[in-house]
Amino acid sequence: MSEKKLRMVHYLNQFFGQIGGEEKADVAFSVKEGPVGPGVLLQKLLGEDGTIMATIICGDNYFAGNLDRASEEALKLVEPFKPDILFAGPAFAAGRYGLNCGEFCKTVGGKLGIPAITGMYQENPGVEIYRKDCYIAQTGDSAAKMAEAVNRMVSIARKVISTETHSKVLAGDQIGKPSEDEYFPRGVLRNEHTEKTAACRGLDMLLAKIKGQPFVSEVVMAKYDSIPPPPPVKDLKSCEVALVSDCGLCPKGNPHGLSGRGNKVWCTYETKDLFPEKGSLPEYEVAHTGYYPKEVLENPYRILPVDIMRELENEGIIGKFHPTYFCTSGNVTPNLVCHDMGEGIAAEIKKRQIGAVILTST
Amino acid sequence: MNLEIESIDIRELKKGAKTCVSDHVLTVNLKELEQVLLKGSGCLKSVDIHLVYPGDSVRIVNLMDVVQPRCKVDVQDAHFPGFIGKVQRAGVGRTRSLRGIAVVVANPYTKRHYSALLDMSGKAAELSKYGQMRNVVVVPHMAEDAEDRDFEDVVKIAGLKTAVYLAQAADGHPADEIEHFDLHLPSLPRDNGLPRVACYYQLYTPQHDYKGISDKCFYGTDVRNLLPTIIHPNEVLDGGVTGHQTIRSLDTYTVQNHGVIKELYSRHGRDLTFCGVVIGVANMDPVQRQRKAMMASGLIANVLGADGVMTVKAHGGMPHVDTGLVAEECERLGVKTVYSIQCLVGHGSLAEAAIYGSNLLDAIVVTGAPVEKMKLAFKPERVLGGTPKTKIYHPDPVTQLAGDSTIEVEEFLIAGVHDQTGGARIIVSEY
Repeated sequence: MSEKKLRMVHYLNQFFGQIGGEEKADVAFSVKEGPVGPGVLLQKLLGEDGTIMATIICGDNYFAGNLDRASEEALKLVEPFKPDILFAGPAFAAGRYGLNCGEFCKTVGGKLGIPAITGMYQENPGVEIYRKDCYIAQTGDSAAKMAEAVNRMVSIARKVISTETHSKVLAGDQIGKPSEDEYFPRGVLRNEHTEKTAACRGLDMLLAKIKGQPFVSEVVMAKYDSIPPPPPVKDLKSCEVALVSDCGLCPKGNPHGLSGRGNKVWCTYETKDLFPEKGSLPEYEVAHTGYYPKEVLENPYRILPVDIMRELENEGIIGKFHPTYFCTSGNVTPNLVCHDMGEGIAAEIKKRQIGAVILTST
Repeated sequence: MNLEIESIDIRELKKGAKTCVSDHVLTVNLKELEQVLLKGSGCLKSVDIHLVYPGDSVRIVNLMDVVQPRCKVDVQDAHFPGFIGKVQRAGVGRTRSLRGIAVVVANPYTKRHYSALLDMSGKAAELSKYGQMRNVVVVPHMAEDAEDRDFEDVVKIAGLKTAVYLAQAADGHPADEIEHFDLHLPSLPRDNGLPRVACYYQLYTPQHDYKGISDKCFYGTDVRNLLPTIIHPNEVLDGGVTGHQTIRSLDTYTVQNHGVIKELYSRHGRDLTFCGVVIGVANMDPVQRQRKAMMASGLIANVLGADGVMTVKAHGGMPHVDTGLVAEECERLGVKTVYSIQCLVGHGSLAEAAIYGSNLLDAIVVTGAPVEKMKLAFKPERVLGGTPKTKIYHPDPVTQLAGDSTIEVEEFLIAGVHDQTGGARIIVSEY
């Protein structure tokens, strides 16, 4: 482990923080120097490698009652200790505590840019919500399994902050696989060093497949739901139609911060501002690295046929061309993110009672 | 067709009065090399040449290509045919190759959205095969009246010419290893019980073409409208095919050492019969794409008579769909297929890596997750191919410069880490 003695801060609820039981769930934050409760075991296992500078204690209801306020307060209390790593809980199966630990790890760890480790039982609702934002060690369902839980949290901590160089992960940060270090998968895909080249692995797989022998594909395709299409528009002449696009075309300066790859943001622009009918068009940029944008920048109507839509409205072929353009960038965006963005855009479309949508893409 | 590659290991690189290789030491007369590169090219004003070594505090930016020094030994004017040499078949006779050295080519005038980089120190150097080599960095300067897209081609050629010049310097030096690539397709045995395996190699994708002009990567010509065809694997290994401008995990050095082709050769006669290579191009038009898939699979199944095929693709999502179609058509013709892809998302599960979904594609290998971001906490003392103020690409709207003490780069933009041809020892795991 690292030669430098690492500084750690530990978050506990009122019970494990030895203030009281459920009757004390409304207590506000307090800070104690050094380790408290399970923190004592945590410190013992860490030994010379790290020091728990302080324990931040807060009642489960106080925290859960206002997550934003609680995270802000927690951050203010934690920051002066200049920690290298954060611990929270473990929360086992306790729902409120689990959610609070997760939120603490996510926001305080996130703002300080340091790793945060907690522990939960698989059914704790905090797992699904926070497993991507911090390391959640897998634990038993009660404090009867405290020793095992704390052991796992420490073992993850040792890996995460290690300066050893024999990491399998290309980026070099030392972290074991979820199954090895017994934490919940964080939904991250990492490049690893391996013995065989992809060509070698591919041909091994191919030869097995040709011979009818079993093989394991490196990727098993996801199963997608079949979404039945809605019924067609009854009367286009009275229908309001909007343009939605994943082309990434936006005003120069990209005010909503669309990412050119793996984008997670959607936004709207008024067509009268972005594509004024009179005078010159403003300057655009394209936040999308999957196509060469020259033609689109020279003529945005290539990807957003605003001109045609206006003609169709004038000719009475469509009832109305909705004055807002729904904009996103779709370049290797993960399915779940696409799903969320789609749901968000659809909700807004429905709220505005828009009857139909034309989706353009590249 | 029989190709012999004679490799010489270079253990030291230095500049000197006479370009030569003696006792595994390569000496380069930098001025002479510059003169060779300037000859006959109106686009070039001058060329800077630098020698860099592992551990140097150097970052090379605006990379256009990396090339292994190679030259033909027994035929005149045959080096990189169509690019430099006269158009003729690559892949026969004797080729000399220098190992431990790479020609690294940069275009400081590039207007492309992103280019690759290479560090000689720090994390990027550890992970890149070129970070471990002694490299000759070629940085051409554009003449005032030159057009920048034409200049790009000239820069690429300068890299190839440098590769030839360096390899020629080893004339007379004993080879450390001689490899034979001997494959005569018409007389391949059919009754030895070994499965016949082909490679489908997607040579190129036009989706990133700067100014809409495709890179010339096949015998000196662009392949945007190429219909799928059969070539001999030696043509890929021996300079008939070059890498993509700005690299994207497919520089010329990688093509010269094509992972799947070399692996097929190493198993030929042992556990399989290597029955040929079909090349194709990713099409932007869906009808062309379907036609290509139909033709390519026909060549693989009905002409090469393959029992199995492994596909190789260029970087990108559309190439993924494109090779997926080819793979599907092969399966429909009874050719067992392994489909190689990259994971272009950083989050989620590996299932999300498969952009193209088909029940027929049940054997997939992931060559890497090239858009994984890497923090490079390395502040170079020297920046070559650009300046410390050269912008380093990031997909999010952040500004970072070549001379910053920490930059974050997607791995496919570090030359020599990922390999579209399957030659890297990388696997992707869920964490």
